This record gives sequence, structure tokens and C-alpha cells, in this order.
Amino acid sequence: MDKIDITLNINNKPFEVTVSPNDTLLEVLRDTLDLTGSKESCGEGVCGSCTVQMDGNPVRSCLTLAMEAEVANIKTVEGLANGDELSGLQQSFIDHGAVQCGFCTPGMLMTADALLHANPNPDENTIRKALGGNICRCTGYAKIVTAVAHASDPQDDCPDCKNGGKTKE
Amino acid sequence: MRLPKFEYLCPDTLDGALELLATHGQDAKILAGGTDLLVRMKKGLLRPIFIISLKALNELSYIKIEDGALKIGARTSIANIIASDQIQKQAPALYQACEKIGAATIQHYRGTIGGNILQDNRCHHYNQSQFYRSGRQACHKDGGKICYARDDSDRCNSTCQSDGATALTALDAQVVLAGKGYERTVNLTDFYTTDGIMPFAMDSSELLKEIIIPFSSGQSAYQRLAYRSAIDYPIVCSSVLLTPDTGKKKIAHARIVVGAMGRSPLFLAHESDSLKGKALDDTAAFRKAAHSSMNSAATFAVHNVGATLEYRCAMVSEMVFRALEQAARALKA
Amino acid sequence: MSDYTIIGSRMPRVDSRAKVMGKAKFTADLKLPGMLVGKIKRSPYAHARIINIDTSKALALPGVKAVVTGKDTEGVKWGVFAYTRDQQFLQTDKARYIGDEVAGIAAVDEETALKALDLIDVTWEEMPAVFDPMEAMASQTELIHEEYPNNINIHVNIDTGEVDENFKKSYYIREDTFTAPEESYFQAEPYAVVARFDHEECLEIWCPNGGPHMKSKPLSNSFKIPLHKVKVRRIAIGGAFGGRSEICPADYICALLAKKTNCPVKIEFTREENTIGTRQGHAMITTHKTGVDKEGKVLARETTCYMDGGAYSSTGPIATSVPFLSMEQVYRMGSVRYNGYRIYTNKPIRGMIRVHGRGFACGLDTQLDLIAEHLGIDPVEMRLRNSRQPGEYTGTKSYVDSCALDETIHKAVETSGWKEKWGKLPPFHGIGIGTNSVQTGFPMGIRGGSQSFIKFNEDGEATVMSGVVDNGQGNENMLVQIAAEELGLLPEDIHLVNADTETTSSDPGSYSQVSTFVGGQAVKNAAYNCKQKLFEVASKILKVAPDTLAAKNRMIFVKDNPEKCIPIKKVVRISLLNFTSVNAEGGYWPKVDMKREWVSNPYGQMCEAFSFGTTIIEVKVDPETGQVTVMNAVACQDVGKALNPLVLEGQFEGSVAMGGQGGMLTEYHEWKEGRCINTTMLDYKLPLACDMPPIKSIIVESIEPKGPYGAKEAAMSIAMSAAQAYSAAVNNAIGVYMDSFPLTPDKILSAIKAKKRLS
Repeated sequence: MDKIDITLNINNKPFEVTVSPNDTLLEVLRDTLDLTGSKESCGEGVCGSCTVQMDGNPVRSCLTLAMEAEVANIKTVEGLANGDELSGLQQSFIDHGAVQCGFCTPGMLMTADALLHANPNPDENTIRKALGGNICRCTGYAKIVTAVAHASDPQDDCPDCKNGGKTKE
Repeated sequence: MRLPKFEYLCPDTLDGALELLATHGQDAKILAGGTDLLVRMKKGLLRPIFIISLKALNELSYIKIEDGALKIGARTSIANIIASDQIQKQAPALYQACEKIGAATIQHYRGTIGGNILQDNRCHHYNQSQFYRSGRQACHKDGGKICYARDDSDRCNSTCQSDGATALTALDAQVVLAGKGYERTVNLTDFYTTDGIMPFAMDSSELLKEIIIPFSSGQSAYQRLAYRSAIDYPIVCSSVLLTPDTGKKKIAHARIVVGAMGRSPLFLAHESDSLKGKALDDTAAFRKAAHSSMNSAATFAVHNVGATLEYRCAMVSEMVFRALEQAARALKA
Repeated sequence: MSDYTIIGSRMPRVDSRAKVMGKAKFTADLKLPGMLVGKIKRSPYAHARIINIDTSKALALPGVKAVVTGKDTEGVKWGVFAYTRDQQFLQTDKARYIGDEVAGIAAVDEETALKALDLIDVTWEEMPAVFDPMEAMASQTELIHEEYPNNINIHVNIDTGEVDENFKKSYYIREDTFTAPEESYFQAEPYAVVARFDHEECLEIWCPNGGPHMKSKPLSNSFKIPLHKVKVRRIAIGGAFGGRSEICPADYICALLAKKTNCPVKIEFTREENTIGTRQGHAMITTHKTGVDKEGKVLARETTCYMDGGAYSSTGPIATSVPFLSMEQVYRMGSVRYNGYRIYTNKPIRGMIRVHGRGFACGLDTQLDLIAEHLGIDPVEMRLRNSRQPGEYTGTKSYVDSCALDETIHKAVETSGWKEKWGKLPPFHGIGIGTNSVQTGFPMGIRGGSQSFIKFNEDGEATVMSGVVDNGQGNENMLVQIAAEELGLLPEDIHLVNADTETTSSDPGSYSQVSTFVGGQAVKNAAYNCKQKLFEVASKILKVAPDTLAAKNRMIFVKDNPEKCIPIKKVVRISLLNFTSVNAEGGYWPKVDMKREWVSNPYGQMCEAFSFGTTIIEVKVDPETGQVTVMNAVACQDVGKALNPLVLEGQFEGSVAMGGQGGMLTEYHEWKEGRCINTTMLDYKLPLACDMPPIKSIIVESIEPKGPYGAKEAAMSIAMSAAQAYSAAVNNAIGVYMDSFPLTPDKILSAIKAKKRLS
């Protein structure tokens, strides 16, 4: 079937793209728009590496047709920071050592960011449940959970909440 | 993983969708959330010529009370079901089942209740890549003549692993199927063909429009077992509905359903009847019904969704028992 | 108080910023002008002769640029050792497992490539296949490899003498057999490779790797081009866990397609390909016969291990040895005899996973617990009575210098509340301990050492070159920390050039747990040498002797009089004005016994340092379903020195997840006649956030004299000991000693029921 011109609203910017019906949103993001932050790890909606937000909700871009994403406000990991200024969640991931290989990180961030918008002070169980669909093979999740918890609620007794980016004197 | 090519159709109205289905039904598939359909297409398990998207049909997304029943539009997202107080109150089993579907990010926002009911039966010999399925004979569901799950079986033994359908069967729900110029309402118990290849008794020109859950004075519950607490399909599940008599001490009616053990959710009439007149705290009767459920369900199941068959069968008893206890507890409260 | 500024700090990793912004580029993210899509045609049969490969239809498809088969190769066979070269990258005679590579294709886009793949017409002649190692040894049908009788790929025999005599002296002897099926890596990043030949006919290649230099050599051999013409480039890597150290046939096939088309080619694996077409962990059947004295001290042990090696040798001799080595390192044994057999079967190739050979799945700790119970000894005490002590030699004659195993046991015991819990928990609650030890390196011949170059730029910043690769564990940050510490700079002043074979010297890679010990130490030595050059210049300016100087915070100052100082940048500029640029090199070669060889001479110094770890796990088992809820994990390891506790804790936590929770509870492969059923992330049960317990990490520092700042292997001893602790905890909860791993709910439930029937 022929290609179709559509407009995708990504990170608050409209993008005119020509897509095939069988293009997934993930393929258009990565291949057409060079927004390669969203990753393909399983390709079947299980691992969460391709998670982006549509109208604030986390969705799997590998199981979303590009054509189904028209109209929605799409946010990808590239849209989390304000220019060079990282979001609190991104900074918290760095400060708490929540990033290892980094392949699951974009999807993890998009799920966590949506969670924090819906619930700014989630408890540990809520966080673990919300991240249940994002598989990380490196971290054992401990530091990711802490990073999400402390992103909006820094703790005085956490050695990593305050010294972000700084080394010990 | 690349999707095969298809033509994308996005009707604006239900009538438009039904018109398209009437014309293309045989060659078309309905796309709601895509979490089941697109995975199967990626694996080359089906290659529809047309995809009819329900994206524009907001009219199929609702939860309402009407005519003494809870009515749910088929395109209602799982997230909306979980968020609904009415469903939590009137149909706790459905709430509990929906909470367990997939993982939050898969299920909540894209996945729909209609899609969950119509998710295709699964089998670990069938839900595989094209590469996996090459180099061996095709199975029944794949257009061939053999079954890898049960030797010498002349039919497909794929398993219905829908959480939602199991709960809805216990809730004695009906589904409204719409075709061009007509609608028909079918009890969910009559909605299955017992054919693993095409498990649903609906025409390719029909669309699942609505789910009707009749009000009940009873309490329902859902229990499931899976490897992990998110993502996974159930390897065995059970849902029950217990309706008390007027004195609220005894069971007037029971519905016991076992899921993930056969080609459809298994409504166990004999075991359900065995609880009639039993006290709400008659644990022994629950155990007995649960044990009997295990024996009944075991005849349907094959080893095709992960864990050993022996284990899954044994767990039927436990899931049924737990669901009964949970529903009884809710009734007593 | 530490003398260090950056070493030992909880410094967030330098690579994190790009990763949280989605800017870090992984192989699949690369786009080169004119790039083609490559795909691999794989055998759908487990054992089948190739009669003919007809590529004409595929080549005729518009958009197809090239098809390659075994005929296009130089016929070179790959093997880690000269005596294990058994694998062609494109098979010409027969396929030995479902997934074996037979052809490659390059096309303008994915759809065309996939279509063309179906058009490659291979005529097969199916042959009897064998999937069970014990059957494979007895099989009368055609051998998987002609040169290996009984399908035995490798036999490792180790005998330290007097085993039979010591059994005679033993007070109690028992023999147990343990089985464990295959497992997989499931790195977050599916394997991918991009290759092109540049204008000078150099091969430029990007792929996840455990060491770029370990990829360049086989590529140079296969294409018969000199090493300098193979440029393996640095790229972000989404996890390795041992699965990306060896050359992957896809690397070669991709490069071959690039050569044939004169275009860049990218191959991306599906998740299924990543599972069956890279490596897996060995399935194992292990029998231990152990004799102890009255106090529980091990006098004699005889261990026999049969490992299902799959279709090719891979790192066979190492894999066959390491299960034994881990156990001989962690526990003292009066004498020991080991026979390890690696058997060929028609299944995917088995390599290292985290470590070689999965010693934790051998059941040694379970048997130790069984013996302890028989003798009425607490499992903790049992371990303390047999634990390795510093200053000892292992059975195969490796000297163990730093060793704080006992301290890790004591600390884990204290933190977990073991004494309050052991024997006192309610029914179906359990607590278990595991201890293990891992090598910091292997003898690797001419590739065992690493060398680093450092140059100062005129702005006072330094460029550091190192062959060390980062698979996600934080190696790049480690190098930056070391360079900054040693040079007296801040981490942001260090520009790291690494993991690129064109610009960096040979390095063992992120392999054998040696990145910090060898690669880090090379950077440390280079930085030290570079600093001495700065001091020489500075000493003339400050008019003091060079050895009175120190460097910190971008300043060089007199140690006893810190106010007498000069910025490093200024020293660099003055040096340049004096016609001398500031740069240096430094290397590190571990002093191992080069005569030690895996099969022919398994004795002598294995490596310079060993790590030791203890994990304690607490679980609750549902007695009706057999499902396990993990309540707590305490992970404690002697790492020598923690260069960065923040990074280290992350490694501990990941080790508990993959080694323990996954390795012992949920992860394993299922098969149907050589077909791997659960290749996907849905069907292979990786641990999830909602199922993981809280984890307490405890770092023990024994300060290894030969390690950089005292550091040695970090966290692998947790992965290993965690697996053992998980199984011990379940055993404790249900009162049954399980001998079949992993401990899935069905097995646990059967064990509970069987016990009930008996009692």
C-alpha cells in the first residue's frame, strides 16, 4: 500500500513524516526522525525499552502503529530535558547510579516520569509495580527504585541525593 | 521486528466499521490496542490484508449502568476499567483480573477489554517466530495437521489465557456482537467454539461491541498464578461468583470458572452446583469443589504454556479454593 | 581517612548523562550513508548436511545487493584455542544446531532483505541429532565433529594427589548429583553489528564486544588482512555478561557483505537470534563425593561434571575448568580430583555467562549444608571451618594473597540477623548462605596485559587512551577516576579514548574480571609516569625536588607546604615552551604462570588476585503453590578496594538479580527437539522490579597488594554466592535439599509434597 503523509507531535514539535501503514511508531522515531533514544529490545511489547508517552501515558512504541499516534502528544526520552538542563528524574538517575549499560534507561525514564506526574510521591511498592513492565538486566532495580523515589523527595540521609556530580573532598 | 504489509482503514463511525467488515471481514483484522494482534503479525502468524482500526470510535469506550447491568464498551481501555469505582464495586473479579493483565505500561493505556477477551489462544509451540516454525511440519493452528502439545491430537489444543474472559465468564457476562445492520447478544459461555484454531463463535464480519455484566447480589473474586507478578500470562487462573441466599449465611448460587487450562474459560457447572446451600464458611465444601474442579479442568489441559502440566493441574485446586475463600470473605464483610 | 580525592568516592558515572538524555549511541543507532540491511540465513535443522545452496532467486530480487555463503569465505575456522578451531562462520558441509549460519544477505531495506532470505534455497539432508550430553557420548550416529570421538569436546583432569587415601581417613563421606539446565544472557541490547571497508581497504566495525582486541584478531585472520586494517570502534554497549567476548559469526558475515557490496552494512539480531545465535550458559550434571573429618573439614573431594557444550567449542577448555576453580578457591580441600567433560550436542553454542561454567549451579554449597546438618554444625560455622585464608595456595598451586572471606561471612551474618533467624524462623520461612570466589584474570598469553597512553593538551586537560571496553558495568568511569586521581585533575578534565583497536594497545578486554586490575592499572601507571614529567618541570619552577611534590585539584604543590603551588595547566604550557610535550605510557602485565594451560597443565599461578563473596538470602515459600517470595538479600564481598562504592553497589545488586533471583528461581531454557522454546523476553523469565527484594550491599576491603589502589574483581563473587544463597534459603524454608536447579515452583511443591508423604 502507498505511503501516507502524517504529522506527529513529538516533544512539542510537529514533524511531517511519510509513513507506511506497517511502520511502528518506534521505527518512525528511530529510522525517519533519528530519535534513537527509544530502543528496541524485545520487539513484542514486553521489555519496555521502547516506552514513550502518548498524552502523558506510557505506551510501547514497538506495538503502536505510527498512524495510530497521530494527534497524540508524544514525548520521548529526548524531550525530558529542557535543552541542556536535565529533569529532576534524569539527574536523580545519574546521582543514584541508576544507569548501567543504559539500554533500558530511556524506557525506564519514560515510565517513571509518567508515574511521577500522576503520583509525585509514590512509595516503594508503587514504584516497583509501575516499573514492572520495564526489564533491566544490569541493576537489580534497587538504584532505579531509589532514583525514582528520591527524584521528587530527596532524603537527607541518602548519600547520593545531594552530591550529584560532585566528588568527595 | 518488522510488521508485514497491510492496508490501514480507520472508520469514523461504528456503522462505517461494520460496513468495512461486511466487505473485507475475511481478509481484515480489527485493531484496538494492538498488544496481541501486532505481536502475532510480527511473528508472521497472520497477515491480514486490511487492518481496521477502532482508533476513531470513541463511542465504543464507556462504562455505564443501564437496565440493571454494567455495560462496558469493547474499546474501553484496561486503565479505565481499573479506575472505575463501579467495576470495583459491581464486578471485583473483573477489576482484579484486569489489574493482572500484562504490565502497567502495556495494558493500561493501549490494551482494551475487548482485545483482552478476543486475544487469541496461545501455545508455546505456536506463538513462535517464522524461523522457529520452519524446518518442522505446521501445526493445526498454523494450517497443518499435527499438534506439538499433545501427540496424535487431531485438533488444536491452544489455550485461552485471557484474564478478563475468565472473570467475565464467572460474572455471567454477555457480549454484544454487531454486524452490518444487526446486533446479537451472546452469553460468554456460548461464545467459544472449543476449536483452538478459531476459538470465538463470531463471524469475521462481526465486531465485539459491548460487554454486559448483570448486577448480582453476590461477590466475585479472581485468582491467578504466573511466573512473575507482572508481564506474564496466567498459567492457571480461576474466577468465582458466589450469590448468597436472603439470610446471607448460605450460598444460593455459585459460578466456578477455571482459566488458562483449556481452549476457553471453563465454567464448571457440576462443581458450581455442589456449593448450593453450603455455608459461607464451609471450607471443606470449598476444598471439595476445588479438588473436583482440578479433575475436571485437567482433562482439557495440555503442556503448552510454560510450567509443567502436572503443576498447573495441581494449582487449579488451589486457585479455585482461594477464589472461593476470597469471595466468601467479601460476602461476610 | 583516605588519601584519595576521587578514588573511593561515590562519583556518579561519566557516561550517565548521555544515557539519560537518549544521546548515547548503541550499534543499532548508527546510520552511515548508503548503509544496507543485512540478514542471516540460519539452519532450521539441528543436524543436517548441506547439499546445495541456490542463491539465484534471492539475488534476482530487486534491492538485493549481495548474498554470501561459505563459498565466499577463506574457509577459516574459528576457535578460542589453536586446538579448538571447529567453527566456520558460514557452514559449508553441515549445520550442527538450529540457528547455525549458512548464508548472509544485504539489501536496500529490511523488507527486501527478509523476502530475499526466504528465497535462498538450501537443499538439506536431515541427519539424526542428539540433544542430551549423556546420550551424545554413547551415540552411535554420526559425530557432530568427526575429530572428537564420543562427542567429547574437552576433558579436563585435575588431581592434587592422595584423594583415595584421604577418603579412607574421612569420618563421613557423601555423594550427591546436581543438575542445572541452560540459561541465557538476555542483554538489554540485542546483538547488532555495523561494518564497512574504508578507502584504504580497512575494515571498520562497530558491535557490542567484551574487548575490541578480542574481535580484531579473528577478523584479521578470517580476511587475511593485517591487524592494523581491522578497526573495531568504540560504541555504547547494552550489557554483555560474558556473551560478547568472542567473535560472533555475524561480525564476519556483516564485514563480508560490506566487502562484497562496497557499502556499509548493518545486521540487527532479533531477540530470538540473540538467544540462540550468540552463546548460552552450559547445562550441567555434577557429582560431588566429599569426605570430611568429625569437625566438618573437607579432607577429600572428587567432582565429576558433564557439561552440555552445544554445537561448537567456544571457550570450552576454560568453561570446563572454572566450575572447579571457583570451588577450590573459596574452600580449602585436603585433596581433590576433578574430571570435567564438555560434550558436543546439536544445540546452540555454550560459552561463558558471567563466569565460565556456572560453578554456582554445581550444588557444592548444597552438599556442604547437607554435611553440616549431618554433623550438627551451623552452615555458617561449616563455611568458616573450610574457608580460604590469606597466604595459602589453592589445590592447583595458585597463591592467594589478599583474602577477607571470613570477614565477608561475619559481616553478612551480622547484617542479616542470621543468629536470630537460623533455626528459629516460622515454617516455610528460610534463610540461606552462599560463599564463592572468582578469579581476577586468567593466563592469556600475549593478550594478558594492557597498555595506556596519556597526553596533556595545552589547556591542562588530558587525553587518556586505553583498550578497556565498557559493557555497562562502569569501566569508562573507572578509567576516568583513576586518571583524574593520579594526575591531580578533575574527572571532567579527562578525555577518554577507549575500546578502539586503531588507537589503543592490546588489552584483555572486559573478560576474566580483569578490566580494573589490568586495564585500570595500566592507566594508573601511565598517569603516574605522566605526572612524574609534570613534577620534573614543576620542580624547576618551584625550586624543590620532584619527589616533594603532589598533584590535586588541577594544582601541583609541595606536600609539606601546599601553599607553594602551580596550576597543572601552567606547567604544561611551560613544558611546551621548552620544546617538550607532556605525555607518557604505562602498562600492566599480571604475573601469572605462563606455563599453566587449561587442559595440558592446569597447575600454577592462575591470576594475581581472587575475590571472595558471601550472600545471605531470606525467603518465604507458599506451601500450597511453591512460589517463592524473596524478602531480603545481603550481599557482601571482599573487593580489595572500592574505587567507587556507588558503582560497586549497583554491581552487587545486579548480581543478586541475575545470579540469584534469575539464576536460581526463574531462568532456564525449555526445548523441543533442539528447538529452544523460550527465546523471547515473554517466555524467558527475567526478574522484574516488582519481584526483587531490597538488597543490602556490604563492601569489604582487604587491599590487594598487587591491585590498583588495592582493588580486585568486584561483584562476580556476589553473582555466584547469591545463587547458592537462594537455593540454600529455599532448602531451609521447605526442609528439603533440592538437587535440580533452578528451584521453580513445581519442583518446590513436589519436594514439599514428597516430604509430607514421608513424615
